[in-house]
This record gives sequence, C-alpha cells and structure tokens, in this order.
Amino acid sequence: MKTIKAYLMLAVIALVVAACSGNGANNGRSGANAPDNASEAGSGKQEPVTIKYTFWGSPNEKKVQEAAIKGFMKKYPWITVKAQHIPEEYTTKLQTMAVSGETPDIGLLYGEDTMKWAEEGRLYNIKDFFDNDSEIQLTDVLENTQYWWDEGKLAGINGALEVFGLFYNKAMFEELGVEPLPTKAEEALSWEEFVEVAQRLTIDSGGRNALDPAFDPGKIKQFGISLPTWAYMNAVESNGGKFVNEDGTQFMLSEPEAVEAIQRWQDLIYKYHVAPTPTQSASFPGGATGLQSKKFAISMDGQWTLVDLGASGLDFGIGVLPVMKQMKTMNLGEPIVIFKDTKHPQEAWLLLKWMMNPENTLELQSSGLWMPVLKKWYEDPELIAKWAQGNSAHPEGYVDAILNNGFNNGFQNTVYYVRNVPEINSVLQPAFDLIWQGKQTAEQALGDVKPKVEAVLKGVYNR
Amino acid sequence: MTEAAARAGNPASSFKNRRKKEALYGYLLASPVILGFLIFVLGPMIASFIFSFTDYNVISRMNFVGLANYRNLFDGTDPFFYKSLGVTAYYVLLGVPLQIVCSFLMALLLNQNIQGRSIFRTIFYLPTIVPVVASSVLFLWLLNPDIGLFNQILEMLGLPTSQWIYSERMAVPSLVLMSLWTIGGTTVIFLAGLQGVPRHLYEAVEVDGGKARHRLLYVTIPLMTPTIFFNTVMGLIGGFQIFGQAYIMTQGGPNNATLFYSYYLYREAFDNFRMGSASAIAWVLFVIILAMTLLVFKSSNLWVFNENEEGKR
Repeated sequence: MKTIKAYLMLAVIALVVAACSGNGANNGRSGANAPDNASEAGSGKQEPVTIKYTFWGSPNEKKVQEAAIKGFMKKYPWITVKAQHIPEEYTTKLQTMAVSGETPDIGLLYGEDTMKWAEEGRLYNIKDFFDNDSEIQLTDVLENTQYWWDEGKLAGINGALEVFGLFYNKAMFEELGVEPLPTKAEEALSWEEFVEVAQRLTIDSGGRNALDPAFDPGKIKQFGISLPTWAYMNAVESNGGKFVNEDGTQFMLSEPEAVEAIQRWQDLIYKYHVAPTPTQSASFPGGATGLQSKKFAISMDGQWTLVDLGASGLDFGIGVLPVMKQMKTMNLGEPIVIFKDTKHPQEAWLLLKWMMNPENTLELQSSGLWMPVLKKWYEDPELIAKWAQGNSAHPEGYVDAILNNGFNNGFQNTVYYVRNVPEINSVLQPAFDLIWQGKQTAEQALGDVKPKVEAVLKGVYNR
Repeated sequence: MTEAAARAGNPASSFKNRRKKEALYGYLLASPVILGFLIFVLGPMIASFIFSFTDYNVISRMNFVGLANYRNLFDGTDPFFYKSLGVTAYYVLLGVPLQIVCSFLMALLLNQNIQGRSIFRTIFYLPTIVPVVASSVLFLWLLNPDIGLFNQILEMLGLPTSQWIYSERMAVPSLVLMSLWTIGGTTVIFLAGLQGVPRHLYEAVEVDGGKARHRLLYVTIPLMTPTIFFNTVMGLIGGFQIFGQAYIMTQGGPNNATLFYSYYLYREAFDNFRMGSASAIAWVLFVIILAMTLLVFKSSNLWVFNENEEGKR
C-alpha cells in the first residue's frame, strides 16, 4: 500500500511538472537543428560541446560503456559526454526527464518506446546521418538490428545484437553418454531428435530417464532443458509460423504452424516432462547457475547468458537451436537513439557511430554480453577472432552455433515491426499463462484469445 | 493596527494583535503540512482529474478527449477494467472480514494476563514493520509449490498440497492468507480499544453470574464496535489499494487472477504510458472507495455503539 502511494505520488509529481513545463518545452524544439547543419563536426576548431548519454545495464556494462566513452572523449576532445547510468525504471525516468526538459541527447531506449517516441517526432531519423556520412553506410549494419518506424525512417540501431542458442553442461552429457549437440545449422537436431536428447537428460530421483516406462514425473531430479517460454517466437518461426500477417491486421499465432510449434514447447513440459513447469522453474536458479547446479542439462537461452557462463568456470558447450521446418533464431536488442531535443545532433551521431564499432567496446563483446551490429565483424575472420574466439565466454562451437546462425538465420523480434506491442502482450499474456501452466492446449488458448488480440492490433511499421 | 497603537496601551488592539501574531505563527508552523498537502496531494489530484479527460501520454502534446477515457472503461472497450474490479472486490470481501476477525481474536488473546505478554505483543506486531517488498519475497518462497514451507508442512501432515499463487483459483486466497501475517497494526488498535472497556461492566456481568462468553458478547463486542468500525474502514481502503503483492509476486497472473485494480492502474500508466486513461482509472477507484466508506458509515447507525448517544438508540 505504501508502494502504490509512492508510485502514485511519483506519477502525479511527474504530471504536475508536465503541466507546468510540458508545452513550453515542446514548442521550442520542433524543427530546430536538422542534421544537415552539423557537417562542421569534421572540421578543425570546435566549440566545446557537452552531450548527455543515458543507458542501463549491469555494473559490468556500465564500466565498459564508460570506458568506451572515455576513449571517445579522447578522440574528440571538444566533446564532453555526460554518461548517466539508469539501472532501474529506465523508461519512467526518461519520461520524467522529457517532461522537465532534461531529455538526453542520445541514449539507449527500449524497442517499443523507441517506436512510440519516433512516431511522436521525438527522435532523429538516423538514416539522414548515414546518408551524410562517408565513413559508414547503412548497408554496413545488420538489417535485423534496425528499428524502422516508417518508410525511409530509421529510429535507431541496436546497441548490440542478441540471438538464441543452446548452452549445455558438458559433464552431464558425458555422464549420461549423450553426444554433444551439433553446432552447424545444417546439422541441427530435428524436433524429434531434440525431444529424445532431452528425455535422455531428464532424470528422476530413482535415476531413471524420461524414456524409461517407470520414470516418475512427480520426482524429477534434473531436467533435460530449460525453456525461455517468453521467446516462443523461436519455435513459431522455425515451424513456418508468423505473429501477424503481412499488414498486421490478422493474428497468426492461432494458425496451425504456430499452434503446432507452441504445442511442441508445451509438450516438453507436460507430455514429456523434460522441461520444468513455470512453478518449478520459479524454485530454482535459471541460466548459468541452473546449468552449474545441474538443475537442467541444456539451457535454451539468449547468447547474453555467455557472460555469466564465461565467468562461472563451468565447462559448457554450445549447440545450435533444434529445427522444425527451417532454422530460425530470434534477433533482439534495444536501440541507441538520438533525441530530437538535442542541440548537438552531429556530436550525438559521432558517439552513436563510436558505440557501434566493437573496437571501442570490445570488452562487452568478448565477455559474451553483446554481439556486434556491424556486418564485417561476422564476416572477417580477423575481426571475428577479436571477440568470438579464444576467450572463456566463447568456446568452440560459438562461431557456428551462434555467430553464423544468428547472421544467416535470424528473424526479428515482434517489437521491431508490430505496432502496439505492449498492449498486445497484455492481452496475450493471460493466454500464455494458461498454456505454460498446462491448463489449456495451444490451439484452445490461442484460438480463444485471437479476437481479443485482433481488437488491439494496429498494423505493422513499414520500412 | 499599528504597533504604535498597541504600545499606546489600547488593550483591545493589543489582544487582537497578539491573536493575529499567534495565528501567523500557527500557520507558519503548520505550513510544512499545509504546503505538503497542497503541493503533493491536492495539486496532483487536480492535475490527474484534468488529465483524466485527456489522452496525455507524457511524450506528446495532450488533447482533450472528453469522457472517452471513462467510457472506454465502463463500456468494456478496456478488457481489464471489470476483471480487475472483480478480482479486487474478491480480495477485499475475503480479506477484510478475515483480517478483522483474526486481529480481534489476537487482540483478545494478547489482552490476557499472561507471562511475557509484552514480548508476544511485540512478536505479533513485528511483521507489520517489514516492508511489503520484503514480505512478498519471503512469501514467494513460503508459497513455492515445490520447495515452499507451506506445501512441505501439508505433505508432512499427509494433506493435499496447493499450487498457491501459481493457481488461478488459489492466487487471491493465498494473498489473503499472506495479508493475515501483517494484521499487527489492526491488532494494536483493537488492543487499545480493549483497554477502554470499563472494568465495572465486566464486574457487573460477573455479579449477575455471567460467564466469559457473556462478557464477550454483551460487553466487549458492543463496546468495541467503534474500533471495529474504524478498522473496517481502514481495511477497506487498504484492501482496494493492494498493489505490491501483485507487482512483486504474480505480475497480475496467472491469467489475470491477481490483476488488482492498483496494479492494473500502474500497468496502464507505466507500461502503456496512457496517463489519461490511468488517471480516469484512479478517479474511478477514488469514487468506489468513497462510496464504500460512506456505505459503511451509513450502516454504522445500525451496529456501532456510541457512548454519547446511548439514550437515543
């Protein structure tokens, strides 16, 4: 009760501040400082300029980002970057800054907010900067890291790319005599093979695996796999399904391909008993710790888990995702954007370019947390060796299973192209609760929720 | 009045002057509270009332949309409004009576003349000062279906276990159960009320040959009705505002079973950033709580014992 009061209080304070200052701040900024006025940035003597950069992230990310910014200020001595780390309630904080006229010049922003801010005219079109820059082309950047809010209008580019893969505890595989997981997309396990591997890795308290007829699903000691149920689009796309149709007017998760894919994930939990239920996974640690403590043998997860795995000292292996009809791995990441309020768009662009170059943030890439957004870092063996090889976070298999697979078979998370994602998710989430709790089949739950989702569908973003 | 006049010895004016001065100091010393109320409560309330008629979303210019925000709630365009109202009402109806009964019984027990009474009182009050975030995390573990203490105890007794907050049916009852852990505050108020029951009335019952049961039914409970009344009102208000548990433990799930009104409001404001609609939701809650409170007040004539109006009843 006290919390709600506090939140409400915060809200109303924000609102009052908005009422006092909002309009004035809005008026002043429209149209000022188009990106073209800043070609001066490359020339000799410069007025000292201060820009503010906001970001979130772990203490480690904070450290590396701040180091990157230090490097930036060394290269561009006339630019002072005030880096502000906001670890919690990022969006709320930024909204508050916006209404009080304190909007940063450049910063990370969550994908769904990026689209909203862009549509409200609060972000620069990054494409204009690319068009006026001879050092870098938009074609140098991975397509799947780009947030387009309209034709020719680019709102932002991921700070980092993230994709999905399988991470497993090698010792558990050896103990049970299970072959290491394939790393090449062409050799990926079929769904049936994958289920069998998971069954062989799931052990009850009597030491029987899930293939044994006497297997007791009520007393499971270790699970075969831990599923990122929220990332179900991995299964859907792999089975040829879609979230919405081309123009975003129809909900497609209730179509047979998607239903089958999601049902297969549900079956891992309730039919084969090789993945924990939501309540079971609530009681044990996820990610690296779960693998290390042998709660599960394989973790299907985003590649950012490598930063923990690399630091854990665990002898882990990497596998490529299993394949249903086609190999697919979800691409996601939150973009860095340049805010319309900035008086120094060109300097902000220089910083954005700087942050895009892994050379300047190498520790974030080599620690396993980030993947680069520039194509050549996936293609040039010399550059690949700089981040994806020869360190504890990137063991053998990484280049095939994560790097190449992400580069070749990635698809974008829904937030990149579907409008109104937060509201869609709030309608969709209850249906997925029923699915992951085993209360309803995928077909039933998704069929029932279809009209409700379609009521809040607002189309897709053109790019 | 000038100071010269006061000094000249006009008694009336000097008195008036002092009154004025006193009033000034009074307001000055009370000003932190008054200003706090104006700036942090009344101002924002007015602002949110205005926002409730707009489509304000923080980052863009707001437009007046008339009653659209309210209409969307009541005509079912917003799919969560009635659901969250129902869930919250269920929590209040189940929780408040239980809290009142339990804390009343607890107060009776803590009012007994037993050894170490103040220690018990402290122990039972203690959970109240644990922040809701901490107790929520604690109960997440206690209620865990696989390794939680509750299920382990049930299992040990050979009773069927429960999925607790992970089950649609049990989620709200689980949170009610959890709320019973923090009834210390209510208990203390009841305890204070019990101190005010005149001893001679008990003695009168005893003289008439009454038992403990009669003392409770004919003396304690009637004389405690004002306290029960107060606690009911406070419980209602608090119950309708339940938030932290849903925010931390269930995120409104499973399948919206714990989508409490305040959490729904929070989601509208800080996930969807529809401040206009969120303000409308808040005002509807304000009206609901006001109505409920008035209702309880109205009903109080029927059951609350008022010493001063004894003759009129």
